[in-house]
Amino acid sequence: MQKEAAIREPLVLGHKTYHDVTQDVCRPIEDKAPKMWYILFGIALVIGLYGVGSIMYLLGTGVGVWGLNKTIGWAWDITNFVWWVGIGHAGTLISAVLLLFRQKWRMAINRSAEAMTIFAVFMAGTFPLIHMGRLWVGYWVMPIPNQFGSLWVNFNSPLLWDVFAISTYLSVSLVFWYIGLIPDFATIRDRAKKPLAKKMYSILSFGWSGRAKHWNRFELVSLVLAGLATPLVFSVHSIVSFDFATSVVPGWHTTIFPPYFVAGAVFSGFAMVQTLLLIMRKAMGLEAYIHTKHVEYMNIVIMVTGSIVGTAYITELFISWYSGVEYESYAFINRATGPYWWAYWSMMTCNVISPQLMWIRRLRRSLLFTFFISIVVNIGMWFERYVIIVTSIHRDYIPAAWSMHFPSHIDIAVYIGTIGLFFVFFLLFARFFPVLALNEIKTILKGSGQSYKESPDYHKHH
Amino acid sequence: MEMSKKYWKGIDELKQTPEFIKHKEQEFPNQQTVEDFLADENLAESSTARRDFLKFLGFSVAAATLAACEAPVTKVVPYAVKPENVTPGMPTWYASTYYDGASYASIIVKTREGRPIFVKGNKDFGFTKGGTNPQIIASVLGLYDSARLAHPLEKGAKASWSTVDAGISDAIARAKKVTLLSNTVISPSIKRAISEMATKLNGEGGSKFEHIQYDAVSYAGMREANLLNFGARIIPSYDFSKAQTIVSVGADFLSTWLLPTEFAVQYGTRRNPEGDWMSKHFQFESVLTVTGSNADVRGMIKPSEEAAVLNYIINALQGKSATAGAWKAAADKAVAALKKSKKESVVVAGSNHTGVQQLANQLNNLLGAYGSTIDLNNTINLHQSEDAKALKLAANVAAGKGPDVLIMMGVNPVYSLPNGAAFANGLKSVGTSIAISAFEDETASLCTYVCPEHHQLENWTDHQAKANEYAIGQPTIRPLHNTSSALESLLVWNGTAARGGQDSAVAYDYIKATFAAMNPTGDFNYLTHNSCTAVAITPAALTYTAAPIKDLPKTADTEVVFYQKPAIGNGQFANNPWLQEMPDPVTKVTWDNYITMNPVEMEGTYATTYDQEHGLNLATVSVNGKSITLPVYPLPGQAPKTIGIALGYGRGANGENIGKAAFQTKEYGGHAKTEDGKLTPIGANVYGMLSSAATILYSAAAKVSPAEGIYPIAATQIHHTVMGRDSIVRETTLSIFKNSEKDAFNEGHKLQKLDKHGDHVEAPVSEFDLWAAHPVEKIGHRWGISIDLSSCIGCGSCLIACQSENNVPVVGKDEVRRGREMHWLRIDRYFASDEEAAVGTKKDKETFNYDNAEKATLNPSVVHMPLMCHHCNHAPCETVCPVAATTHSNEGLNQMAYNRCIGTRYCANNCPYKVRRFNWFNYPSYKKFTEVNPAQDDLGRMVLNPDVTVRTRGVMEKCSLCVQRIQATKLLAKKEARTIADGEFATACSDACPTNAIVVGDWNDLKSMIREKSEAVRAYQALEEVGVKPNVWYQVKVRNEDNSLLDHIHVADQAHH
Repeated sequence: MQKEAAIREPLVLGHKTYHDVTQDVCRPIEDKAPKMWYILFGIALVIGLYGVGSIMYLLGTGVGVWGLNKTIGWAWDITNFVWWVGIGHAGTLISAVLLLFRQKWRMAINRSAEAMTIFAVFMAGTFPLIHMGRLWVGYWVMPIPNQFGSLWVNFNSPLLWDVFAISTYLSVSLVFWYIGLIPDFATIRDRAKKPLAKKMYSILSFGWSGRAKHWNRFELVSLVLAGLATPLVFSVHSIVSFDFATSVVPGWHTTIFPPYFVAGAVFSGFAMVQTLLLIMRKAMGLEAYIHTKHVEYMNIVIMVTGSIVGTAYITELFISWYSGVEYESYAFINRATGPYWWAYWSMMTCNVISPQLMWIRRLRRSLLFTFFISIVVNIGMWFERYVIIVTSIHRDYIPAAWSMHFPSHIDIAVYIGTIGLFFVFFLLFARFFPVLALNEIKTILKGSGQSYKESPDYHKHH
Repeated sequence: MEMSKKYWKGIDELKQTPEFIKHKEQEFPNQQTVEDFLADENLAESSTARRDFLKFLGFSVAAATLAACEAPVTKVVPYAVKPENVTPGMPTWYASTYYDGASYASIIVKTREGRPIFVKGNKDFGFTKGGTNPQIIASVLGLYDSARLAHPLEKGAKASWSTVDAGISDAIARAKKVTLLSNTVISPSIKRAISEMATKLNGEGGSKFEHIQYDAVSYAGMREANLLNFGARIIPSYDFSKAQTIVSVGADFLSTWLLPTEFAVQYGTRRNPEGDWMSKHFQFESVLTVTGSNADVRGMIKPSEEAAVLNYIINALQGKSATAGAWKAAADKAVAALKKSKKESVVVAGSNHTGVQQLANQLNNLLGAYGSTIDLNNTINLHQSEDAKALKLAANVAAGKGPDVLIMMGVNPVYSLPNGAAFANGLKSVGTSIAISAFEDETASLCTYVCPEHHQLENWTDHQAKANEYAIGQPTIRPLHNTSSALESLLVWNGTAARGGQDSAVAYDYIKATFAAMNPTGDFNYLTHNSCTAVAITPAALTYTAAPIKDLPKTADTEVVFYQKPAIGNGQFANNPWLQEMPDPVTKVTWDNYITMNPVEMEGTYATTYDQEHGLNLATVSVNGKSITLPVYPLPGQAPKTIGIALGYGRGANGENIGKAAFQTKEYGGHAKTEDGKLTPIGANVYGMLSSAATILYSAAAKVSPAEGIYPIAATQIHHTVMGRDSIVRETTLSIFKNSEKDAFNEGHKLQKLDKHGDHVEAPVSEFDLWAAHPVEKIGHRWGISIDLSSCIGCGSCLIACQSENNVPVVGKDEVRRGREMHWLRIDRYFASDEEAAVGTKKDKETFNYDNAEKATLNPSVVHMPLMCHHCNHAPCETVCPVAATTHSNEGLNQMAYNRCIGTRYCANNCPYKVRRFNWFNYPSYKKFTEVNPAQDDLGRMVLNPDVTVRTRGVMEKCSLCVQRIQATKLLAKKEARTIADGEFATACSDACPTNAIVVGDWNDLKSMIREKSEAVRAYQALEEVGVKPNVWYQVKVRNEDNSLLDHIHVADQAHH
C-alpha cells in the first residue's frame, strides 16, 4: 500500500467500483462490435493487404522494385525498420521501467502500450527480412549448425547483433505482455456466455483460478520479467544504433547514437501511445481510466525525451564542425542545406520545437493539442531516420558516386501497408483482448472508502 | 589369347539341362505375353489380395514420384576426337588484327573451348603496341549478336549462296556500269581482288567498273590538303611520343581521330612526369572531348575559328600579329611552347576542311615537324574516303541515274550519307543492288541481294594500315552462320573462285598468295603467329609547297559540331549493349544522344542539373533546314555559342533488324514502339545535317530553340566536381613536381596522437590501427594496383575489358538512370570548380563555398579517375556482413562469396569508395533485361567467361581483382615450379590500358613494379585517413601547365610549415 497524497489527482476518475472496472473493460469484448470498428478494420485490412501484395511483388521480382541504387543501399526499408522499432519502445518502457519505479499511472496504459509494442516490432521485423536480396537464405543470420563446412555467422557485424537484439526484445515483450493478460483473460472467461468464447478464453487464461498462490507467482514473474525487460529497453535501440555507429559513413559514425536513439525511441513510442489511446479512450468509453493526468504524464516524458533528442541533434552538429573532419562537417552542412534540407528541417521542427510547447501546462493538458503533437512527433521521428540514413549515404566520400533517393510506389505501398497491418492487429486486440489491465487497475481503486471521504457526511465530522 | 576363365550363370548352364536350353533366351522364367495374359479366361476370377493391391499401389505411386523427381538430363558431349590446342578449361590465345573501317589494332583473342571470349591489344607485335579502344574490346560481343544475318538474302527472303552468286554474276555480266562502294580498303588482298575485277570488267581503258571508297566519317580534307601541299593524297604518320609540344585544333586524337589506338600509346609514354621529359599538350576545340580533357591547356573555340587559331599561331611564330578571340591566352602559351620545342612539335587539326588542314600543314612545315614528328613516307592507309566521288554517286543514285549494279561493301550509305533518305529512294531504281553486310541494316534491307559477311573473328583478313606493316587477321572460330568472307564473294563474282561453304579456304589461299607475292621467302605460319610483319618502304621525296587556301569556314552566331563518341563512334556499334552502356568518358551519359551546351549558357532556359527523376530539357536544332529534337546536356568546357551532337545514333529508324540493343526499351521490359508500331531508335541520326561541299564538313551553322518536354537521362555520374577534397584526387603541376619535396604536392594525412611524454604530436595515418593487421605483409602474395592519374586518358577501354572478362551484366537505360549500373570498374570524371586551384585543391580553405564548389568552371580542367574495389586490408565491408559473405584472403584480396550473400547491402553502404554493385533483379532472366543483357540470349550467352560465375538476383558483387586470372597465373607458375614473375599477372583492366596507367602485381615482391609504384613520391591512397588500408595506390596527376595559384598553395604553404 502506498501513501495517499491528498492533493494528487486520482488515477481513476469517478467512483468506480471493482465491478464497474470489470464491466468497463469487458463490455467491448462481450458486446457486438460497433459499426465504426468494422469500417476501420476494413480500411486497415485493405491497406494491409495492399502492403502484403507489394511485398509479394518485391519478393518475386527483386529489391530493385524499390527506389534504391548503387550509392543508397538502404532508404525507406531501414528507415521504416528503425521507426517501427522506436515505436515499439514505449510499451516495455511503460510496463517494465515504470513498474520498477512504481509508477501506478502506467496501469491504465501499459496493456495497450505493450500490444502496440509487439505489433510495432512485428512490423519492424518485416523490413530487415524483406530488404534482404535473398530472403530464402535469410536464416543464415542465425548461428545454427550447418553442413556448409565451418561456415558461421560474423559476430563482428552489427546486423547480427540486431538479429539477436530484436528477437530477444520481441520474445521478452511478448511473454511479459501475455503474463499480464492471464488474470484478465480469466475474468473474461468467467463472464463469457458463449461456449466458443468461453473455450477460447479458458485456453488463453491457462487455467487461472485467482488463488493467492497464483497471484503471488504472478507478481513474482512480473517483477522478474520487468527486471529482464528493463535492460532490453535500452539495449535494443542501442544496438539498432550500432548499425550506423559502427560504420565508416560520415553522419552514421557517431558515438552519441546509442543514448540518442534510445531517447528518440521513447519519444516516438510515447507519441504513438498518445495517438492510439486518445482515440481508444473515446471509442471505448475509457475516459475515467485514461484521463488528462495520464496524458500529461506522457507529455512530460515526450518533452523530456524530445529535449534529449534535440540536445543530441545540436551536439552532433557542433561536433561535426568541432571535429574538423572534412567529410563529417560536410555531411551535416549537406543535411541542413543540401538537397534534403526539407527533410532535415521537418525533423528539426517536429522533434525539437514541437515538444518544447509541452512546457505550457494548458497545452500539455489539452487532449486535442496532444493528439496533434503526437502525430507531428511521429512524422518527425520518421524523418529523423530518413535524414540519418539517406542524407548520410547519398553524399559520402566520393562525390562522383553521389546520388539521390526517390521512393518508388512499392516503397510507399510497403510502408503504408505496414501501418495498415499494424492497425489490423491493434483493432483485433481492441476487440478481443482486455485493453486495460483490469485486475491491476483494481489495485489502485479507492473504492468505497474514497466515496465516503468525498461524501458530505465525511466532511461534516471534520 | 583365349580366356582362361569361364563363368556360368549356374549349375544348369554348366550341365546344359534341357530346361536351361529352353529358357535360355528368356530373361524371366514363365514369361507370358500381354495377349496371353488378357486372353486367360480365368482372369476375371483371379483375385488380388487387398494387401497386395495396396502394396502395388504404394509401390507404383512411390516409383512414379521418384521418377518425376529425377533431375533433367543435361547433356555434356565430350570431344570424340580432341581438337589440337583445345583443352577444356584452358584458354587458347590467337594473335590477330582488328579493322572495322575506322579503328585498327593488332589484337590477341582469347578463346575458351573454341569460342572467342576476350579481345585485348597485342603489346608484342604491331605498331599499335597494345593500344585498343572500347569498340575493339567489345567487338567480341558482336560475334554473338543474334541479329547477324545467318544466310544470304535475295529480295529480303532467305536464299542460298548459289542462287545469290548466280544472280549477281549474271547481273554483273549484263550490266553497263558496275560500281563498288566500299569503306576504306586496307587489305592488299581485297585490293588485288578489286583490281582483278576492274581488269576483267573494264578490259583496256573501259569504264564499266568503278570502285569508290567512302567512310561514314571522312578524312578527305586531310588527303586533299596533302595533295595540294605535297602532291600526294596521303595521310602521314604522326608520332606523339616525339612531340614535346602537341597542338591539336579540334582533333580528338586520343579517342576518335585518325588512329587513336596508336596515338594514345605514344601519347601515354610522354605523360609520365618521371620520364626524361613530359609533353605539353594544347587543345583548341568546341566540344570537350577525351583528348581535350587531357590537355594541359585548353582553349574553347568555335569550329569556324579553327583556321584563325592556326593562322594566329603561324603569324605569332613569325613575329607577326593576327586577330585572336577569347582563346588568345591559350594560343599565346602554345606559341611560347612551340617556339621552344620547334621541330619536336606536332600540330594536328580535326577538321575535314581542306583549307584548315593546309594551315595545319603550313604550321607543321614552319616548325619543321615533317621528318621529325611526322613521317610522310610511312603513310596511314586508313580513311581513304573519296568524298567527291561518293557524293556524286549518291546524287546520281538519288536522281535515279545510278549504276546497273551497285555493290556496297562495309558501308551503310542510307544511314550515313548526308542525303541518305534520297539515296534510299533512288536505290530502288538501281538494277541490282548488293550489300555485303553482317546485318540487314538500313542499306541492306533495301538491296536486291544481301551477302552476309563473316564477323572479323571468323574471318581470314589481311591489312596494311600503315605502309610499313602487313598484318593478318585470323579466324578464331568456325563461322557460326552460313556467311562468307567479303573477299571470297568478290572472287566468286569475278569468276576466279568457287564458293567454299563454311569451311572455305578461298580467302585463306588468296591471302597466302598475296603474301607470297609480297614476300616470296616469308613464312606464312610465322606471320600468322605474330599477326604482322614489317614491309620495306621506299622513301619518296615529298616536299612542302605552299598552295592557296580557299573558302575557309565562315562564322555563324551558333555553330554545331558533329563529333563521335568513343563508344558508339560512327554508329556501326549501335547494337552493342556494352558500348551503349559505356558511360561517355566526359559526360558519363549512357544509352543516349544529346546536344552538348555550356551550362553557363543554359542558365535560365534549360535545366543544368539532372538526376534519376529530373531529366533534361529538350531543344530543337535546325541545320540547313533540317531539324531534330534532343535533350540538352550541360557540358562544362563546351565553347560558348557552340553546341555538339554525336554522330552514330538514330540507327534502325525504320525498325531494321540491326540488333536488340539498338532500340529504346520500356520501363518493364520490351522495346518501346513509336505510334506507327516501329521500334524506337536511340537518339537521332544527324548525318543528314552534314553539309556536303567538296568534302563532308562536320560543323555547321545552327539554330537552337527550346522545345517542350523533359527527357530522362541515364548518366552514371550526377555530381561533377570533387568538392575540393584532396584525399580523392591530387593534382599538381610539372614544375612543382620537379622542384619540390613530396609534401608540397602529395602530403600524407596526419592524425594527432600522444607520444610517450604525453605531448600531442602528429603522426601519419599508417601508424594508427584499430585492428591487428591482416597477415598479408611479407607472407605469400599481396596483390595491389597502381593507377597513374597522369597517364590515364579516361578512354574507357578498361571498363569494357572488365565487363567482358567478368560477365558484368548490362542493365539498360532505365536502370542506369536509377543509378544501378553494374560496372565493377568505373571511371570517375571530375571537373574543376571556381573554388579550386586544381581539381582537389581548395583555393582558400577559409572561404570555401560548397555551393560554388558544386559547379564546374566555364572551361574546367578534368581528371579521370578509374575506381574499382580497393581490396582494403581493413575492409569496412567485411566487418559488417552478418554472414561473412565477404572476407579477406591471405593474399590481400577482398573476396565475395556470392553463394553466401544474403543481400543486406550493408557492405555497399559502408564502402567509402562505393564500388559494390547489387543484383537488384535477376539480370540473366528478368524480362526487363531481355533486350539489353547478352546473357539472356542463347547466342549472346556464348560470350560469357566460363571462369567467372554469372551472379544471381539479390547478391552483391564487385571487382575481384580478376581472381580467376590470379589463380591461373599461380597454377601455371606452380606447374612450372617457379615463382610468379613480375608482370606475369595482369587484370583485364591493366591488360586493356593503352597508356599503361594501370599496373598490377604482387606488392610482397620487393622488386615488383607495383611495389616501386606504391613507394613513389607521387603515390597516394585515396581516402587514406579513413584508415581502411587499401591495396590500390594512385599516382598524383601532373599537369604540364603554369598554375600560379597552385604554386602558391603547394609551394608557399610548404615553406610556411
